[in-house]
Amino acid sequence: MATRKLVGQVTPEERNEIQALFERRNGLNELAKILTVDNHELYEKLVKDLGETTTKYQSWWNRMSKQYQWESTENGNWEINFDTCEVFLT
Amino acid sequence: MKELSRQWKEGAAKNITFIVTKDCQLACKYCYLVGKNSRERMSYEVAKEAVDYVLNHEKDFPEKSVIWDFIGGEPFLEIDLIDRIVDYIKTELYMRNHHWFDSYMFSFSTNGLNYHTEKVQKFIEKNKSHLSIGITIDGTKQKHDLNRIYKGGNSSKERGSYDDVVQNIPLWLRQFPNVGTKVTISSSDIPYIKDSVIHLFSLGIHNVSINCVFEDVWKEGDDKLFESLLLELADIIIDDGWYEENACSFFSEMIGKPLDSKKNNQNWCGAGMMLAIDAAGNFYPCTRFAAYSLRSKKPIIIGNVRDGINKNLLRPFLSLDRTTQSPQKCIDCEVASGCAWCQGENYDAARTNTIYERSTAICLMHKARVRANNYYWNKLYRKLELEGMREEFEKNKRESRPFIC
Amino acid sequence: MLQYLIILLDDTATSFCHYLNPSKKRNLIPQETLKQGIRFAMMENLTIQFVYPEYKLPKGYEKIIDSIDHTKIMPFCAEYDHEADVYVADENNIVEILNVNRCFSTIVLRVSQYFLLNNIESIRHLIHKTDRLNISIVDIDSFNEEDFNQYSSALQILSQELQSQYKSGKTRQLNILTDRLFLTKMNNCGAGDTVVTLAPNGKFYTCPAFYYEDEADNLGNLEQGLNIKNAQLYKIDFAPICRHCDAWHCNRCIWLNKKTTLEVNTPSREQCTVSHIERNASKDLLERLCEQGFKFPNNSISEIYYLDPFENKELWQQENL
Repeated sequence: MATRKLVGQVTPEERNEIQALFERRNGLNELAKILTVDNHELYEKLVKDLGETTTKYQSWWNRMSKQYQWESTENGNWEINFDTCEVFLT
Repeated sequence: MKELSRQWKEGAAKNITFIVTKDCQLACKYCYLVGKNSRERMSYEVAKEAVDYVLNHEKDFPEKSVIWDFIGGEPFLEIDLIDRIVDYIKTELYMRNHHWFDSYMFSFSTNGLNYHTEKVQKFIEKNKSHLSIGITIDGTKQKHDLNRIYKGGNSSKERGSYDDVVQNIPLWLRQFPNVGTKVTISSSDIPYIKDSVIHLFSLGIHNVSINCVFEDVWKEGDDKLFESLLLELADIIIDDGWYEENACSFFSEMIGKPLDSKKNNQNWCGAGMMLAIDAAGNFYPCTRFAAYSLRSKKPIIIGNVRDGINKNLLRPFLSLDRTTQSPQKCIDCEVASGCAWCQGENYDAARTNTIYERSTAICLMHKARVRANNYYWNKLYRKLELEGMREEFEKNKRESRPFIC
Repeated sequence: MLQYLIILLDDTATSFCHYLNPSKKRNLIPQETLKQGIRFAMMENLTIQFVYPEYKLPKGYEKIIDSIDHTKIMPFCAEYDHEADVYVADENNIVEILNVNRCFSTIVLRVSQYFLLNNIESIRHLIHKTDRLNISIVDIDSFNEEDFNQYSSALQILSQELQSQYKSGKTRQLNILTDRLFLTKMNNCGAGDTVVTLAPNGKFYTCPAFYYEDEADNLGNLEQGLNIKNAQLYKIDFAPICRHCDAWHCNRCIWLNKKTTLEVNTPSREQCTVSHIERNASKDLLERLCEQGFKFPNNSISEIYYLDPFENKELWQQENL
C-alpha cells in the first residue's frame, strides 16, 4: 500500500498558481481530444499552449521544491492538496 | 472524522444550469418537478445561443470559475446534446481566451440508470477531469424503491429502480472516488434513514448528503420519530467507527447555534446568483422558478437568450437576506444555524407572490436534528477524549483526498 | 401604522401618481359603499383622500363627503375650479395653468420623461404658480443612461429657479428637490403601510394601480375588514435596499416596484438612480441655500459616489458587521 507523508505546505498564492496550471493543462488535454488538424490554426495554438503550460507546470514544482527543500525519494511523487495547500510525498 | 467534501472553489463558482429535458424514466414520489413531460427537450441551437449569450457578456459574469450544470428530468437521456454542447463550450472558452477556460466544471445529477451505457461512458472518458457526477441512491433497496419508481406503473405494480442503479455504483466510485450522494427524506422515509445511511457507507459512498424536503409534508409525530432514528444512527456511526472514513450531513458541528441578525444575515440559497435555462431559451434565477417546478405560482422568467437578462428582476434575489424573509420566531431561534430553506419552495408556498416569505415547514424536523446532532458530538468527543484521540481528530478533521498533481 | 385612506369615487378617478388609469367606463362608487368607507376611516382614525373623476358627482355625494374632514384630489378641469386641495394635471394642462391668474396650493404634474426633459422651461415657470409642485414621471422605468444625464441637467435649472424664489422670500416646494431638505427620515409612497385604497367595488387595495391591474388582488373588503398578507414587506425595515438609503424623498412607488422587480419591497435600478440624481441635486441646493443663511433640519447631505445603492451592497453588508 502506498504511503503518504506530509513534507511541506505552500502559500495560498502559490497554490493558486499551480491549481490554475493544473486545470489549464487538463482543459488543454481534453480539448485536444476533440480538435482535429482540420481546424489548423486552433490546433497549432493548442499544441503550443499545451507545451508552454506543461513547462510552466513542471517549472513550478522545480521552483517550489528548491525553495522549500521538500523531502524526496527515487520513485516518489509529490502531491498537493488544493484545499489545505499541503504537499505530500507518495 | 471525515468531513463532507468541500464544494469545488468553495462554492464561489457561477452556476449555469441547462434544463435539457423534462423527461425521466422514473416518477419519484417526492419529486418537486410537478410538470415533467417528454415533449420539452432543449435543442442544440438553444443551448448554443445560451452559451453564446453568457460568453459574449463576460463582464456580467465576473466569477472566476463556472459550473455548467445539466439537469432534467434525467439529463443523461440527452447525452448526445450534452456531448455536443460540452464540446462547444470547451472550444469557445479556449477560442475566446475566456477567463473560465482555466476553471470550469460540468456537473450532473443523475438517477444513475444510464450511467454504464456506452455513450455516457465515452462522455466521461472524454471529460473526466472536469466532471462532477452525482448518482441519487436513496439508501436501502426498501427505502429507495419506496419512492424512486419507474413511471407508468399503478400502485399495485410499482417497480423500484434500486437494482438498476446499485449495479452502477462500483463503476461510479472507481471513476470518481471522492463522490457523494444526495438523499431526500420525506415523511414516509423516516423509518429507513438509519439503515439507509449505513447501507450507503457500506457501498463505499463516503459522503452522504441527506436532507428533509422543504415542502409541507410533515405529519404530527414525524419529528419525534426522526429524532429517535437519528439517535440510533448516531450510535451506530460512533460505536462501529464509521465516522473515521465517512460523513453524513445530518451531523455537523455548525448546526444548532443562534445566529446574529447582523453578522449572520446572508441568504442561505443561491437563487439569483445562478442562471437556469430551459428548452425555450428562457432564463430563470434557479430551476425552482421554472413552471415545471412550481405547484401554485407563475414562473419567474428573468430574460431569455435573445433579449438577455432583465437585471431588475434579479435585484430582489440579490438583495435577499436571512432576516428580511424570516418570521420573528426564526430570528429569535436559539438553534437557528443549519436550518435551511429553498427560495423556490418559499415562493411556491408563500401567501403572496413573493420570495420574501420563508417557509418553516421543516422547523420541527430541524429542531429534532439539532437534538440528535448535539447527542452525536457529545458522544463522539467523549469517546475520542477517553481514547486519547481528540487532538489527532481535531488535527485531521480537515483532511480530504488531495488531487494528484 | 395606517394613517390614510384613499377613496376612489369612480373607476375613472384621476391618476395622481405614476400609474395610468386605463378605465374609460364610469363606475361610480355606490353611496352606501362610500358611507361605509367613511365609517371605516373614522373608526380606524384615518385621514381620507377622495380621488375624483372628471365629471361632477351626482346630487347627494358631496354631502356624504363633507361628513368628514378630508382632502380632495381632483383633475385639473373646469368642473372643479377652486374646489380641489390637490389638482392633478398633465402635459396638456400646463399652458392653461400658466395663464390662470392665481396661485394654486398643490399641483401634481404627471408627465413623461421625454416631456420633462424637453420642456424644462415650462416646468420652471410652473413653480411660480403653486405653493407646492409634485412632479410624477409616469414612465420612470424607461430612463436610459443618456436620460439620467439630461435629468441631472434639468434639475439644475429647476434648482436655480427655486433658489431664486427663496431669495425673493417665496419658499416654494418642489417634491423632487426641496422635500429632501426638510426630511429627517424616509417619507415615501406608503402604499400598503401608511395608506390603503378603497375602490368603488368596496374592496381594499394597496393603491389604485393595484386595483386597475387586477381586481382580484385585493386586501380585504368593507364587510370582512382589511387583510394585508405579508404586511411587513410594505415597511422600510423589510426593504433590503431602501433601509440603507438616504434618498428620503424618494417616491418609492410600490406599484412600480412590483411592476419592475416583481417585489413590493424592491425598487428598480431606474427608480433608485432617478432618486439619487434628485438627492444629489438637493444636496447642491441645500449648500447654496445654507450659504445664503437659510436653515434646514439637516445642515448637509453627504457626498456619495454611486447613483444606485444596490451597487453598494457590499458596503451595507460591511456596515452590518
